Parts: sequence; C-alpha cells; structure tokens
Amino acid sequence: MAIKSLLIVNRGEIAIRIARTCKKMGIETWGIKTSNEPRAHYLSHMDKIYDMSDEFSDVLVFLDVERLITIVEETGVDAVHPGYGFLSENAYFAQRCVIAGVKFIGPTPDAIHKMGNKTVARQIATKNNIPLASGTTHSIRDAEEAKEIADKIGYPVIIKAASGGGGRGMRIIHKAEELAQMFRLATNEAEKAFNDPSVFIEKYIQNPKHIEFQILADKFGNTIHLGERECSIQRKHQKLLEEAPSPALTEELRKTMGEIAIKISQAVKYESAGTVEFLLDQSNNFYFMEMNTRIQVEHPVTEFITGLDLIEQQIRIAQGEELKLKQEDVKLNGWAIECRINAEDVQAGFSPYLGTIEKMVQPTGDNIRVDSGIVEGDTISPNFDSMVAKLIVWGADRNEAIRETKKALAKFWIKGLKTTIPFFKIVLENESFRCGTFNTGFIENELESMHDTSEEEEALAAWFAALKYAEEREKEETNQVDFEQGKNINPWVLNKRLKSF
Amino acid sequence: MLLELKEKRTMKLGWSSKKELKKLIAVNPGRKKFEFPLPFTDELKVNGKTSEITLKTDDKFGTYLLYKGKKFPVELLYKNQNRYEVLLNGVSYFFTIETPTSYKRMKFLSSKSDGNKNENLEAPMPGKIVELLTEEGREVRAGEPLLILEAMKMQNEIQAPISGKVKKIHVKTGQNVLKDDLMVEIHAGK
Repeated sequence: MAIKSLLIVNRGEIAIRIARTCKKMGIETWGIKTSNEPRAHYLSHMDKIYDMSDEFSDVLVFLDVERLITIVEETGVDAVHPGYGFLSENAYFAQRCVIAGVKFIGPTPDAIHKMGNKTVARQIATKNNIPLASGTTHSIRDAEEAKEIADKIGYPVIIKAASGGGGRGMRIIHKAEELAQMFRLATNEAEKAFNDPSVFIEKYIQNPKHIEFQILADKFGNTIHLGERECSIQRKHQKLLEEAPSPALTEELRKTMGEIAIKISQAVKYESAGTVEFLLDQSNNFYFMEMNTRIQVEHPVTEFITGLDLIEQQIRIAQGEELKLKQEDVKLNGWAIECRINAEDVQAGFSPYLGTIEKMVQPTGDNIRVDSGIVEGDTISPNFDSMVAKLIVWGADRNEAIRETKKALAKFWIKGLKTTIPFFKIVLENESFRCGTFNTGFIENELESMHDTSEEEEALAAWFAALKYAEEREKEETNQVDFEQGKNINPWVLNKRLKSF
Repeated sequence: MLLELKEKRTMKLGWSSKKELKKLIAVNPGRKKFEFPLPFTDELKVNGKTSEITLKTDDKFGTYLLYKGKKFPVELLYKNQNRYEVLLNGVSYFFTIETPTSYKRMKFLSSKSDGNKNENLEAPMPGKIVELLTEEGREVRAGEPLLILEAMKMQNEIQAPISGKVKKIHVKTGQNVLKDDLMVEIHAGK
C-alpha cells in the first residue's frame, strides 16, 4: 500500500530531512507546531501543520504517546516517521501506531523491544554466537551484585543503562572504590532519561574504535549492509565527527563484520533501516555493542558514498516493497565526513552554549551538504539538543574529503554563538586523525588543545578588544560627566566616588 | 569607522587628569601583552610584520576584521569593566585592557597576591543540582567531584578546580541554577 501522507513526529533538521524525501516521492507531510518553538524553521518545510502551539504541557508532545496517537487519528495520515531521538525507539509507540492502523516507519515493535533492551539484545547475541564483550546478560539489582560481577570480569568495567542509548546512563569504573557511587549515578541517570533504572555491566574495552554498520532489510527477509561508519571521535560517548568508510577496515574485515551485522538483524526479523554498532579493539577483535533501530544522525555519510536516500528506502520498505538492491550491488564510492556543529563551548569542556544565532553563512558546493533546522535569529534553548547543523562533505578519497571539509569549515560562519567549528579544524589537522589510527580516546589522549588558535588571530582579537575599550572611553567622555566641572560637586561625594572606582 | 576614530581627539587618562593616554595594553590570561599606540591606527604588527587591519560590517557576514586579505568573523561576547571576551573565528580570547598606569598597578598587585588564591566555582551552564558530593569544611583535591549538575539531560560531574578546603556551599540538592551562579567556594591550600 502506497503511503500518501505522513506525520513527522520530530523537529529540527531531521524533520526537514524527512520532508525533503517525502516531497520527492509525492507524499504529503504533516508537521507539529508546539508551544516551545511555534516559529521553528522546520515548520516551513511541511505541507500541512497540526497546530498545538496553544497547548502547554510538562511533557513535550514528541514524547507523549497518547497525544501523538490522537494527532495521528485527527490528521488521518497513512504513516508516522519518528526521526531519531524522542519516541523513535519506543516499542510501545510503534505498537500503538500499528493498532491505530498507520504505518510506523521503522522496524516492528517486537524488534524495537528486543534491541532496545540491551540485556535482551545481549541474550540474542549470545544465542547467535555474535562476539560480545564479557559481562552480564541480565540487569543488576544493586551495587553489591555489581561489585561481585566487576570483581569477576576485572576492572575497568562499564555500567550501562539497559534501556540506554546516545551515551546516557553510562559510567566507566576503574577501581572497586568508585563502583558504589557510579552505580548510583548510572541508575539515577537511567531512570531520569529512560524511565527505567535497570543497568548491566560489561568489560570496558579501552580505547576501541567505534564502527557501525548500516543495515537495510525488507519484510521478505532480504537484508543487506551499506558498509560501515567510523564514529570514534566522541566526547562523553557523544559522537562529534563521523566518516564513511572507516580507515581501519580492510575489505575482508568489512565483509566479516557486515555479515555478523546482517546475522543479528535477521535474528530479530529486522525490517527498515537500522544500525549495528561494534567496538573494534587494537588487535582487530570486534564486539557487538548494540543495534539502533532508527535512522541515525550520521546517516548522510552513508548516503554520500552509496548514492542512496535512506529515508526513501525506509518509506519504500514500510510500503511493503521488496529491496531492489542485492549485497553485490552495493558499491562504496569515495569518502564522506560529517561534522556535528553544536552550540557548545569547546574551551569550557564542551558545555552547551545557549544564545541566538545572529549570522549564519553556510558553505555550498556539489560535494557539500548542510542539514540544519536553524536559521538566523533562532535561539538555542536548553529544551532541545545543542545541534546547529551537520556539515557533510564528500571527496574521491579520504585525503580529499579532509581537505574539502577544512575548506568548507573555513567558509562556515556562525555568529552570536560558540560552536564546535574550531574543534573540527584542529581535529582535521591532527596527525593521528589523518593517518586513521585514532580511537574513542582521541579527545582525551591525542588532542593537546581543543581548538585551533594562532598568534595572529589572538593579536587580531586583542586589537579588537582594545578598540572596543577605546570607543567605550570616548563615549563616556563625550556623553556623560564633564570631569572639569566635577570639581564643583560636593568634595565628599567626589571623594567617595573616586574611592569606589 | 576607523577613519572616524582617528579624527577624534586623543583620549585623556581618565577622571580629572589632563595627561594624554599614549597607549592601551591588552593582557591575556597568560600575562602576554599586546600594545596599541594611541590614537588607534589601522596597522597591526604580528611577529614583527606590520599589515593593515580594518573592521567591517555588512549584511551577509555581520562584523568582521579584514587582515592580509582574509576575513575574520569577530564579536564581543562579554564585557565587564576592563575585562573583554572576544570571539574571533569561533574561538574565545580573554583580555583585560590596561592603561600604562593600571598595567603597572596590576603587575604590582598580582605579584603580591600570588600563591594564596580562592576559587569561586560557578555553574558552567544552567541546570539542576542532582547531588552534592562534598560538604563544607572538607579538604578536596583538584579534580575531585564536588557535585552533579544535570543540564541538557546529561549529568555532569563538576570537579574542584584547585586543591583546598570547601569554604561554603551555596546550592542545595534539587535546586535550579543559572549560568554563572556561585555554587561552591574553595579556599586554596591547607
């Protein structure tokens, strides 16, 4: 059954990204206008808008299953696309969509549930002989049990939220003394973020590479992979820069890992687009970490090197179409790099930087893609994540991709906010990055400075600061008090003023 | 803009003084000096070489500096008295702007107060205090976690910037804080 109308239950750049493909396919799009950001840019890309900007609720609508189902019914759409984040990996929401008679663009609720619960996923992996880091396949009751297991598998260990993802609810423990506190923090954070405090423990693989495989699978059991993405440039388990392919994989290793990725997808009868994440250690051993049952933020790098539109593939699969592509048809062409341009203060440990975008000039070109949900005048608020834009650049090979990304970053101007742009400039210059040996410890171990600076730029900044100071003084002298006349004021007052100055 | 500045009269040293101000000194946190003779000129000397510098504003780029044929986006992020934070090409630079007299005083004062510093720990971002991990009067080492601040759905461990004694805690568990709110005071040393 062909999908004619689709509700996007997301915001920002991904809502725009989905709408773009829908437009191409002739599908009518519905967006949701919320009270948090009634003038958001993504709304201008929708064919129709469900306006609920006069409703105020503690729970954001994109997280509110009941409310969303009423919107689905009122709008009468054929399908729902959840994007990433929010309810994209919520089996209950997917189930409710099915019951409401609309297509949920993604895998079945059953597959979401199995992969979404990391302990269940670990059990499935074990059953299918998929390599795993040693640890538990059940959730841990308390800090004492945690300690028992950690002592057995050996430190360092990592505690992860069973319902986790996106780097939240994770704690690394190097010594037994830290365990109790870290256990508490992890369960706290897990409960807050995922409404589920359960956690499990696994051996912490030190400084691995983060390699993930893009999967496409249809209803008929055809499952292929579209190669890997390297996402080792991370901060607090949050990806910052991704590339495809990975400089670490040989054709042989790609084949082996790809086959394993397909195997675990088939074990849960996966359909739609999905991502199987692995850790790759320094001796090229790899371990299944988790499967993300949604479109990923970094999907554009795969699109660039395969020439495919992954959102289109998702929609076609949801319509019941059979995958036209066979594994042997998948050709990886060239190299693509994505930089996540976030509103973050790199000089202050990547803390979120809230503010208003005064100016934004984006680079353009045939091999440059900028996905952004933000325009000049928009404000980065604490309500949502801090992403301003994704810059994706293609090159014929890795060196060209790096070179072109550098050029594109130099042309990317954002004013009014601090962003991760200076950070990427220094990453792209780094020797370990350039030769491809970097791993997830890159930021801590390889970078001496988190941003690029030059003496010249500092001198320019100093000149500007001095100029501003001089202007200020000029203004004070001309506009305010005439100090020669100041002698006429009460000497007591004058004395006091001088002292307080 | 610059020409306009040149034509203005030379600046006075300040309140009630008639002495002319000859230069301004920008000092970075590493005590590096950048000197600018007054009146302001459109020439900047870096590493011994002098080039022309201009401040421009247009609709497309906003405000930027033009130097050696290159554009540098620039803006003033923060200003408090003589302390300036300038964002140039996406990177923050911190300076205090001194006159020759105030520079001398600054050097004199800082030479006296070195060694026994107090540190005021301010909230790096708006958020909520989830947990306090220390108490008043406790000795802490630099890098030791003091509290957990939840912001943007992440729990962030806030660590002691210096070793010393926790003098006062200004926040409670569950409290919301704004950016730059004072959270903990630490008294340096033993």
